[in-house]
Amino acid sequence: MIALEVSNLVHRYTGGHESLRGISFQVEEGECVGLIGPNGAGKSTLLLHLNGILPERESQHSSIRVLDREVTTQNLAWIRRNVGLLFQDPDDQLFCPTVFDDVAFGPEQTGLTGKELAACVAGALAQVGLTGYEERLPHRLSQGEKRRVCLAGVLACDPRLLVLDEPTSNLDPRARRELRDLLRRLPATKLIATHDLEFVVELCPRVLVFDQGRIVAAGPTRTVLADAPLMLAHGLEVPHILQHDHPHGAARSGPEPRP
Amino acid sequence: MRLELLERRGDPASPVHQAPALGKLLLTLLFIGVVVSSPSRNPILPAAALLTITLVAAVARISPGHLIRKLVSVEPFVVSVALLSLLQPGGVAIFLSMVIKSSLSVLAMILLVSTTRFGDLLRALRRLRLPGIMVMTLALMHRYIAVLGDETERMRRARASRTLVRGRRRAWSDLAAVAARLFIRSSERAERIYHAMCARGWRT
Repeated sequence: MIALEVSNLVHRYTGGHESLRGISFQVEEGECVGLIGPNGAGKSTLLLHLNGILPERESQHSSIRVLDREVTTQNLAWIRRNVGLLFQDPDDQLFCPTVFDDVAFGPEQTGLTGKELAACVAGALAQVGLTGYEERLPHRLSQGEKRRVCLAGVLACDPRLLVLDEPTSNLDPRARRELRDLLRRLPATKLIATHDLEFVVELCPRVLVFDQGRIVAAGPTRTVLADAPLMLAHGLEVPHILQHDHPHGAARSGPEPRP
Repeated sequence: MRLELLERRGDPASPVHQAPALGKLLLTLLFIGVVVSSPSRNPILPAAALLTITLVAAVARISPGHLIRKLVSVEPFVVSVALLSLLQPGGVAIFLSMVIKSSLSVLAMILLVSTTRFGDLLRALRRLRLPGIMVMTLALMHRYIAVLGDETERMRRARASRTLVRGRRRAWSDLAAVAARLFIRSSERAERIYHAMCARGWRT
């Protein structure tokens, strides 16, 4: 089944800047796809569209379908329950006074209360390895913990499509590694926008390269990211992991590309 | 950032800390109601109220220094409102009464906040059927004081690291620049927070 289908998506910010210029792609259910590109390429704008945050479209021919439902203002409640969006800055996403309140925010919108709500929060925190963090205050958490609480808040809504904006920014190597392992365990379809190309190689068998609001390349991650002229032409570079054949086998440790 | 204003103090195992937030909130509101509506010329009630606060603070093991420091930080607002009463006949007595009653009320609130988790207080307010938007506003304010404080500190340091000439006038202009930038950043952050709230089903 196709989890996400974007057709001819165009977006122009107030002031005239065109950030998306006819984006089209599909993601199969269960797939993990990387979105890479220089700053200002339109990655974050695209992610906001997938969750219906930017619902207005420039073109009548534009469409976004999530699990066969069109992203429209009429479908917003369903879309937001099924598309989990992880924002770049955890402090933007952790807006409640305690970890419990924050993780409970999404399920509460769907009418969950009492013991069911507590069980849902406990389950989501267990999924991200933060059992017992319910009464912790967000400003007392490390960056890695904040990121995991954000993910728990998203997972508590039980989304079928996970959309992550720069999930590794500001993470130390250990927190980054833990996040990578956690995302590997999650069965949901994943779309990951990031500058961390090594992360893409490690997690995503397929990648889309964005530049100036267009998809300029798409294909198996290892093939696309090893193309040095392509990478340089779009403000990127071949990741270290693909430049050398490491004696410890790191270059071969990521997922195999799709045929 | 240090968030003394927002965090519990004293002994978390004390009966005062352990008491239900809703009960403490209702008792505090009742206390304030009694203090505010008591006759101005009767000195016994304010004395009894102060004694109650002192006893509760002692049981909760909250130091008098903490209470006084917090009271002093709020006192300019109390006094500036009470100053208006000096303009009317018999104003001094009214002024003193207003300052004493307001200070006792503020002390009771400081005691409540110092012995109750903010999250529990918000849940108690929800149970008292305070409008959801007000509870949400309080929650956001509590959450982002620390974030904005950190942001201010980072901007102040960044400016200080490139400030070669010292002077009072320069310091004020720097402060104004930091405040203006903080205002813009806060507005941008507010938009991102709103997006994050919508992404998890707020008002859909």
